[in-house]
Amino acid sequence: MDTFAALAHGMAVAVQPMNLLYALIGVFLGTAVGVLPGIGPALTVALLLPVTYKLDPGGSLIMFAGIYYGGMYGGSTTAILINTPGESASMATALEGNKMAKAGRGGPALATSAIGSFVAGTIATIGLAFLAPWLVDFAVRFGPEDYFALMCVAFVTVSATFGDSPIRGLTSLFIGLTLGLVGIDKLTGQARLAFGVPELLDGVEVTTLAVGLFALGEALYVASRRHHSEEKLEPVRGSLWMTKEDWKRSWKPWLRGTMFGFPIGALPAGGAEIPTFLSYSTEKRLTKYPEEFGKGAIEGVAGPEAANNASAAGTLVPLLTLGLPTSATAAMMLAGFQQYGLNPGPLLFAERPDLVWGLIASLFIANVMLLVLNLPLVGLWVRLLAIPQPWLYAGILVFATMGTIAAKPSIVELSMLAGFGVLGFLMRRFDFPIAPVVVGLILGPIAESQLRRALAISLGDPMTLLQSPISATLLALALIALLAPFVLKGMGRFKANED
Amino acid sequence: MINDVRMSLENALMFQFPARLFGAAVALTLVAATPSFAQQLELKLMAPAAPGGGWDQTARSMQQALVAAGVARSVQVTNVPGAGGSVGIAQFVNGAKGDGNQLMVNGFVMVGALAMNKSPVTLEQVTPIARLTEEIQVIVVPANSPIKTAQDLAAAVKADIAKVTFAGGSAGGVDHVMAALFAGAVGADAKKINYIPFSGGGESLAAILGAKVTAGISGLSEYDGQIKSGKLRAIGVTSEKRIPGSDIPTFKEQGIDLVIANWRSVVAPPGITPEQRKTLSDAVEKMVKSDAWKEILKQKGWEDAYLGGDDFADFLKKETVRVTDVLRSVGLVKS
Amino acid sequence: MTAGDPVQPRRRVDRAGIVIAALLAGLAAVLVWDARGLQSTAMYGMGPEAMPVVIASGLALLAIGNFIEALRGNLPARESADPVPVVLILVGLALLIGIIGFGGGFILATSALFVTTSAAFGRRAIVVDSIIAIVMSTLIYLAFDRLLTLSLPTGPLERLL
Repeated sequence: MDTFAALAHGMAVAVQPMNLLYALIGVFLGTAVGVLPGIGPALTVALLLPVTYKLDPGGSLIMFAGIYYGGMYGGSTTAILINTPGESASMATALEGNKMAKAGRGGPALATSAIGSFVAGTIATIGLAFLAPWLVDFAVRFGPEDYFALMCVAFVTVSATFGDSPIRGLTSLFIGLTLGLVGIDKLTGQARLAFGVPELLDGVEVTTLAVGLFALGEALYVASRRHHSEEKLEPVRGSLWMTKEDWKRSWKPWLRGTMFGFPIGALPAGGAEIPTFLSYSTEKRLTKYPEEFGKGAIEGVAGPEAANNASAAGTLVPLLTLGLPTSATAAMMLAGFQQYGLNPGPLLFAERPDLVWGLIASLFIANVMLLVLNLPLVGLWVRLLAIPQPWLYAGILVFATMGTIAAKPSIVELSMLAGFGVLGFLMRRFDFPIAPVVVGLILGPIAESQLRRALAISLGDPMTLLQSPISATLLALALIALLAPFVLKGMGRFKANED
Repeated sequence: MINDVRMSLENALMFQFPARLFGAAVALTLVAATPSFAQQLELKLMAPAAPGGGWDQTARSMQQALVAAGVARSVQVTNVPGAGGSVGIAQFVNGAKGDGNQLMVNGFVMVGALAMNKSPVTLEQVTPIARLTEEIQVIVVPANSPIKTAQDLAAAVKADIAKVTFAGGSAGGVDHVMAALFAGAVGADAKKINYIPFSGGGESLAAILGAKVTAGISGLSEYDGQIKSGKLRAIGVTSEKRIPGSDIPTFKEQGIDLVIANWRSVVAPPGITPEQRKTLSDAVEKMVKSDAWKEILKQKGWEDAYLGGDDFADFLKKETVRVTDVLRSVGLVKS
Repeated sequence: MTAGDPVQPRRRVDRAGIVIAALLAGLAAVLVWDARGLQSTAMYGMGPEAMPVVIASGLALLAIGNFIEALRGNLPARESADPVPVVLILVGLALLIGIIGFGGGFILATSALFVTTSAAFGRRAIVVDSIIAIVMSTLIYLAFDRLLTLSLPTGPLERLL
């Protein structure tokens, strides 16, 4: 009951007209900057927070929440429209979303992403309000061996992004794993595959790879095929809005995505990428329209987008209850509190409940605002695709390189971006799937360092992976997921023989 | 890392936007007061890290304080990220040689990073100006751990060093160096420490709270909330003397010779004239004494650790030797 | 896939496929060579050289797999590609990198990329495109510099602003 009362109080603050205006400004600014690839929600907040500094605490927190969630929306908008994921968590969205946009279904893709984010954000924020203390106990119990087991589950499900040929899918994945090795080894500080180039010591930036492979590679590929047929992009084919059918196909992925995103986001090393991949592959398995996957299936947008936003709310669980900033974005949240000389953590709920609940309430408000702001914009965004092709692609390339120029203006980084563009072009030309490369880059290093941490703690005893109940359960799940397709196939054959 | 992001934010919060207006206003009023000084200096200040990092935030704070105190007419911050500052210092040493209007922020982490990355450029090449701030380090254990004091931990380390796992930040960083120093100070073989690097303060904190590791090492401010709420037990801090108002004992008073701090400093390019060096040193000293700088330190909870001139040059030399020795002893640097 | 398909009699060795297989094998060799230079300084558990070796083994197996596919001619059919626009865009990227590298600044660099890409997609109005590009990148530069206080690379044009 206390929770309800506290939340109601927070809401009362949040719905004052001035605060609503702050929320609107926040989500607008957040969306505007969040669309830049390489400039994710964390940097967006960092750069725009000065604006909030001059406001009163309530208004400031609300604008802050708006910027934060707005940044996340912005990332998916570019992923869908121009195949340029603004951050690594929007990568799964780009897979199906951009295909939809090319087929003239950008409107429904943007809509399902906006509404899905709203649904997931709302549910996850409710979860944050009511489940946080319980969930955090569970989250802290996750040790390195358990994270490694979680990675194994993720690796098994990655095959959903492989396309038709397992060999070519695995080839892409291993290229990604190789890229993941580049740089200083986290556990011993030794350089791997850096070839004496200092800029390589920090490793390959996920956004550089994703933007190079997706946006640059795509532009090169389309340009190389212009002589075949003038590919006319129709911004809108059919309805601009979601049809009844779209709704029917979206609501379950939204909920499932939330179920992946929120708990994994609450894990201190969970992140936003893994739940989006898990969601994508789950939707691919469960869909009634498997033939549409890879060509623009709405489930493949709805699920990952929901997972992405739910995980963002999830990261607030350890932050608010333990003072544990588990992502750069969470660290930004922490900074929001520190404007008022407060350290989130165990004492905060007791000492300053007004601020905690003010923040939670403002998350709800920001979510509503984004929906209000983004749905009318869908029409406008989609019109962007009507820009003549030369300018559209020239703009995309300028846009794609801009993020890198702003974040890391070095010749090496820009050359890598161009190199990944060529790689993306060649992979498209020879029909290798793109996504597994990025997946490998993200998952490989995490899996490796968690495994090595687990083995260091257990002094080299691999049994530690089976002794932890969480890890044992997850490994069993991974094994089942790996074998199930074969077993089911076998059973099907068996049944067919019986008949 | 997390700490860095957090601090940068505060920096972004407090200074970037108002800085231009505020700085302009202050500069205007100060032109009359200290005309020659304020008009001469147009500084370029390099943060050898991405926007948002701790060095970046130190640089931008200096930018604000230098202008606000009327020491410099303008200060331009540039970011050159990469490999713990190795990329930045290389560019600084080669590109700014002899330029009396350039400065670079650096700190403890760079000492280790340069040694580990076999950087061709070293801190011996730059012209030391001043140490600015430092942060005290702490060792914590989970609240229910049988280890109550630093001596308990020392006994555990001596009994079986492999079984005592330390969680902390990146390999070769200040946390890692401190773990090795602790082992050495209690008479164990520093080479055998079981140090587990985590990528961020949050992740290692989780491992400590979940009792996955024996002990955790970090900057004191990062774990302050958990220590005060009783979720973590601080068994010692690395300051010379007890921090005023704190009941955490130092390692020294527990009979363990472990004094270390995560410091940040500012340096000038190689090959500048003694006059240029004096101008820059004076400017930094004036900034450190300004109200604007003191206000910043208070806002960010930084410890003033100003050390100028030759004292700082000595300190930098000693610290480089100490860190390199430790890193060699744990096998991170090959001799 | 099309193996044993009588409608497609020309199942030839795919040369591009052989090159891909060779590249993968080369990559595996580089990994092993690089891992050999690492010292296993980890006292406990796995060293830094273990993972590269595992990945290199995977790459080697995949090289064999791709090689067999190529021998069988099992690669998907490819349509012809026009190299001219690809080269044009790559020239644009090279110009971008070069201009930034030599201190030409953000506006000139991105404008060069814009114009070449636009040309690659069939436009021939270089003057109009240049004007559009310069106006656009100037606005972007101002937004970054003034609103976000993030310094983009500066050159002669930026100093005029």
